[in-house]
Order: sequence, then structure tokens, then C-alpha cells
Amino acid sequence: MSTVKKIFKVREMSSFLFLVGLFLLVGLINPKFLTGSNISACFNTSVVYTLVAVGMAFTIFIGEIDVSVGSNLGFVATVVGSLLRDGANWGFAFAMGLIIGLIIGLVNGWGVAIMKVPSLIFTLGTNGVLRGMMYIYAGGAWVENLPKSFKDFSSVTLIGNFTVYYCCAVLAVVIIHFLLTRTRRGQYFIAVGDNEGGAQLVGIPAVRTKVLAYVICGVLSAVAGIIFCSRIGFVTSTSGSGYEMKAVAACVLGGISLTGGVGTVIGAGIGAVIMASISYLLVFMGFSSNYDNAITGIILITIVVVDALMQRRAAVNNRHARLAARTMTADAAKKEAAAQ
Amino acid sequence: MKLLKKRPTFNWNLFLILLLAAEFLIFGSANPKFLRPALLLNSVNDFLSICIISLFVTFVMITGGIDIQVASIVGLTSITIGVAWQDFGLSIWGAVLLAILVAALCGALSGFFIAYCGVQAMVVTLGGSFLYTGLALLVSTLSSTEAYQGISGFPDSFKRITQYKLFGVIPFQIVIFLILFVFAYLLLHKTKYGRKVFLVGVNQQAAEYSGINSRLVIMSTYVLSAISAAIAGIILTSYLGTAKSDLGSGLTMNIITAVVLGGTLSTGGKGNILGTALAALSIGILRFGMPLCFKVNTQYLDIPIGVLLIVVVVGRSLAGNPAVIAKFARLRGRSKKEAPANP
Repeated sequence: MSTVKKIFKVREMSSFLFLVGLFLLVGLINPKFLTGSNISACFNTSVVYTLVAVGMAFTIFIGEIDVSVGSNLGFVATVVGSLLRDGANWGFAFAMGLIIGLIIGLVNGWGVAIMKVPSLIFTLGTNGVLRGMMYIYAGGAWVENLPKSFKDFSSVTLIGNFTVYYCCAVLAVVIIHFLLTRTRRGQYFIAVGDNEGGAQLVGIPAVRTKVLAYVICGVLSAVAGIIFCSRIGFVTSTSGSGYEMKAVAACVLGGISLTGGVGTVIGAGIGAVIMASISYLLVFMGFSSNYDNAITGIILITIVVVDALMQRRAAVNNRHARLAARTMTADAAKKEAAAQ
Repeated sequence: MKLLKKRPTFNWNLFLILLLAAEFLIFGSANPKFLRPALLLNSVNDFLSICIISLFVTFVMITGGIDIQVASIVGLTSITIGVAWQDFGLSIWGAVLLAILVAALCGALSGFFIAYCGVQAMVVTLGGSFLYTGLALLVSTLSSTEAYQGISGFPDSFKRITQYKLFGVIPFQIVIFLILFVFAYLLLHKTKYGRKVFLVGVNQQAAEYSGINSRLVIMSTYVLSAISAAIAGIILTSYLGTAKSDLGSGLTMNIITAVVLGGTLSTGGKGNILGTALAALSIGILRFGMPLCFKVNTQYLDIPIGVLLIVVVVGRSLAGNPAVIAKFARLRGRSKKEAPANP
């Protein structure tokens, strides 16, 4: 019984309910939406967002941010795509992609954790560099004519209508969630984000944890880049731009606080599904895709403002409760003194 | 105290002037065409929006915030002018006024959420950038012209803003930039309002206790930056002769780089307009000179700008590192007085 209560208390539950509500609302407007294939399509399209958002979640947990994930994704997709197009071994191409992601993560981690540069500014810089390198690598051209087997792999389903990619992503998210919440080292991330000085004082290697968070973010974005390549089937010079914003939005929607130290990767995964579904849902609601950005913005702003107001109210209530408790004990002490 | 604070910024501005001079020297020797005044003056059109907007984003960053929605407001302004003029039948100046008003409202909305609801500036302006890009797209669908074509055929009086040349040489938009520069400089460094902006950035609580309406000050900086984005949007629209909803996309990194390179502390409390202007100019010259002199594709320009940003922030962080300072102190026999605090 208590586990059920616990489940409803966690922050990402509200995001999940929001997602269900969104689906039901669209179903009310257009009953054609509520079929298994449509709903699974919403989840399947979210796989790239999910991976990027989970990576982003790590950097947000430690109280930083990484806006280079979009270019990271694009660059890895360009490299892996052109390697595969030229007939390279799949394993080699994927390994290259992951190594690039790892290096990007290390550079970002070095800048933010060791050089102590504000993360937004540092990763904005790496974002520009990567975007430029992407142009140079591809020579400004599209990467096309990927092997058919690689592209077709994106539509292989595993359970019901869910693709192999999405199932693997979900499995990965669940494993990461348990590593983060159940292991000692996993909890370092939240601890560092919540109170860096405190974490350092109790012996947590804060700098190493931060670098690790960026490395995880870089590698997950690289994986997302490989999957992007397989799903879309071509890479343009602007591929991946804007993903950083959508990933942050997904994290916020999933109940992760940007001040760090609060949230779960499962929340990020749910937020990613919401972000990925919006344009799909709009079609069923009879809007043109022109509304996509505006509605994304409205949802994002509404959620963060409501979250901030609720947190403030909770803080005020807590203070009142503390004050009341204090006066009560004072009153009790006075009465006792009077009785004596 | 004042002297101590002044000295590093002076040094930094000196460095920026040297950077500018070095750029002129390198580009000029690589390709003498670069130094032709007419070409140089015309090149300003390509990066003027960076210069104008970064002046006022400096205000936002001094209060400790950040504004990544300005790029989307440029597009919104442009398309609002087009649609209001062509499809709502407003006069062109009415349309311009309306666009500025819309931009100010957008800035005020984000500023309100940031200042009065206590949401992080980063998130709100991130949402704002989605929202205003989306709005710009929606506004463009109101028009009878297809969105990808853009609205053109503006009256000559509007186009003349950017065609008029002062003394026959200086494009009028440079004059606008200079006026805005002086305005921003006076506002930040010579008025009470500017002092309030600094104090709010140094310590919002202290500002609040000393009777400053800190929330209003914070909100107003976002209105200012949004209006500057609107002005940039107007100039771009006039210069290109077309109103498009996606003008200004891709400006964000350049603007933030300009402000940070200009010596503004991203944690707030420190910064100056002269530095921002110099930094914005050097970024602009870089964007103009690289393709002209070294045949660098304009799409690769993100690399030098990104590298510049990283080098500056890492360098400044090194300069604030106690170990490095001590080393320099031993070398120079006197210690650097101010170490920028990092979060």
C-alpha cells in the first residue's frame, strides 16, 4: 500500500499524468488518435529526445547545463553517417561516434568542472565549434545514401509496436535510474547538485563527479546521434540544432529543477515523450505544425512558473509552520512558568 | 575602491582595442581590399544587430540574468512590421511602432516571470525563444504572402533608414548604433538607474533592503533588451527589404559571446558598455574579415567565435585562479587586486 502512495508522491508522476491527460484530451477532440499505433508512434519518435534529455539531466542534476548536445548529436550523426555511407564496418563507425561523444564530454567537463567557467557560456562555445566542424567534415553537403539495412533497423519492432531503439532506451533509462538512486556513486550527482560545498566536505569527489556527468551527457548524445542517423536516414548541416533547447524543456517538464539536485532520469524520459509528441498531437487536433514552437514555449513557461510559485508557497508554508511551532513551545514554557 | 574596480576593466578594454587593431592589421595585410572604407562601412550591415542587441543584453547580464530570446524577437519584429503594413493596412511607421510595442511586451512578459515569479532567467528566455519564434511563424500565416517568400515592397521612406548616408559615406545605421551606444553608456554608467542595475546584480537582497524595487529593475532590463532586438529587427528588415519570421536566428551565440568577451561577468554585478561595444565590433570584424581575407566559408564562422568565447572565459578563469595570481605576483612583484569570483 505504501509503495502505491510513494509512487503518487514522486515529482515525475505529475508529468506522467500530464502526458496521459494530453493523450486523452487529443483523443476527445479526435477519437481517431487513440489507437495503439498512434500512441506507440509518439513514444517511438521520442527515442532521440529521450537519450539527449537523459544526458542533459545529468548535467542539470549537478547544477550545470550543456547546450552543446545538439551539435554533438549532429556532428556524431555526420561522422557515423558518412563512415557508414562509405562502407565502413558498423562497429568501427559506432565506436568512432561514441569516442567523439566521450571527447566532447571530457572537454566540456574540463571547462566547467576544472576551469570553473559558467557552464552555459562554455558549452555555448563548444556548440559553435562543433557546429562549424560539422560543416567542414561534411563539406556543407548532406550525408545521404546510408545503407538500407541500417535505415531499416529503425523500424524493427520488439514489443508490440515499440521499436528496438525505444525498448533499449527505456531499459537504459530504468537501469540508469536504479544506478542513480540505489548506488553510492550514483547518488553523488544529486548530492553535488544539491550542495557542492557540503558534498565536498563529506568526501565526495565533486570535480570528478561533474566531469563524469558531462562525459555521460556527451556519450548519450552521441548514441542519440547514431540513432538519429538511422531513423531519419540523412544528415543535413543543421541536423540536431534546437535539440539542446528541447532537451532542457523535456527535463523541466519531467520535474527536474534547473537549480540542480532535484529530479530523476525517468522524469526526463517522460518529458521527452511530451516534447516529441506535441507536433504529432497538433496534427490530430487539426492545427498546422506552425503552432509547434508557440505551444512548446507556452507549455514550458507555464510549467516552470507554476513550479516556481508552488515551491515558493511551500517555502512560505514551511516558515509559518516553523514559526507556529516555535511560538507554541514558547507559550507552553510560559504557562509552565506561570503554573510554577 | 572605485579605482580598484576601474583598473581591470580599463585593462580589459585596452586588450579589446588591441584585439581590434590586430584584426585590422592581419586582415588588412592578408587582403588590402579589406581596408577600403566603403566596403568596411558596408560590412557593418551584416553584424550591426549583434552590436545593437549586445549593448542591452549587457544590462540583463549585469543583473545576473541571461537573455537568449532576443534572437527570436528580431524575427517577430520583422514579420510584425510586414504583416501590419501589408495585411492590416497600417502605415509603415504605425507598423514599426506596433512592432516595438509587441517586442517590449514580449520582453516584459519574460521579465515578469523572471523577476516576480522567481523562475531562472535561462529557462524563461528559453521558453520565450520557442514562444516568440512560434508567434512569428503564426503571424506570418496571417499574411497573404507565403511565409518562405517574405513580405517585400516596402515604401521608400522605410528603406531609406538604411540607404541614407551621412555626409555621403557613413551609413545611417552606424549613426543609430552610435546613438544607442551613447544612450546605453549614459544609462548604465551615469544614471541612478544604472547604479541600481549594478547593485541588483551584486546583491539583490541588499538592493531590496536599500529601498530599490529590485524586481522592477530586473524586469526593465528584459524590456530594454527586447526593444533593442526590435530596433535591430527594424534595421534588418529595412536593409534587406523583406520581412521574414526567421531573421535573427543564429544570433544568440554571437550576442552572448560579445557580452562575455566585453568583460561582463555572467554571474552579474560587473560589466561595461564600452567593453561590450568593442567586443561586438571585434566579433563583427572577424565575421567580415575571415570570409573576405581567408576564404573561410561563412558557415564555418561559428568555430572562431566559439573558440574565442572559450579562450576568453577559460583565460579569465585562469586569471582568477589564486595559484596563477600568486605566480604572476611573484613575476611582477605586485599582486592583481581583483579576482573575479566564480560560482
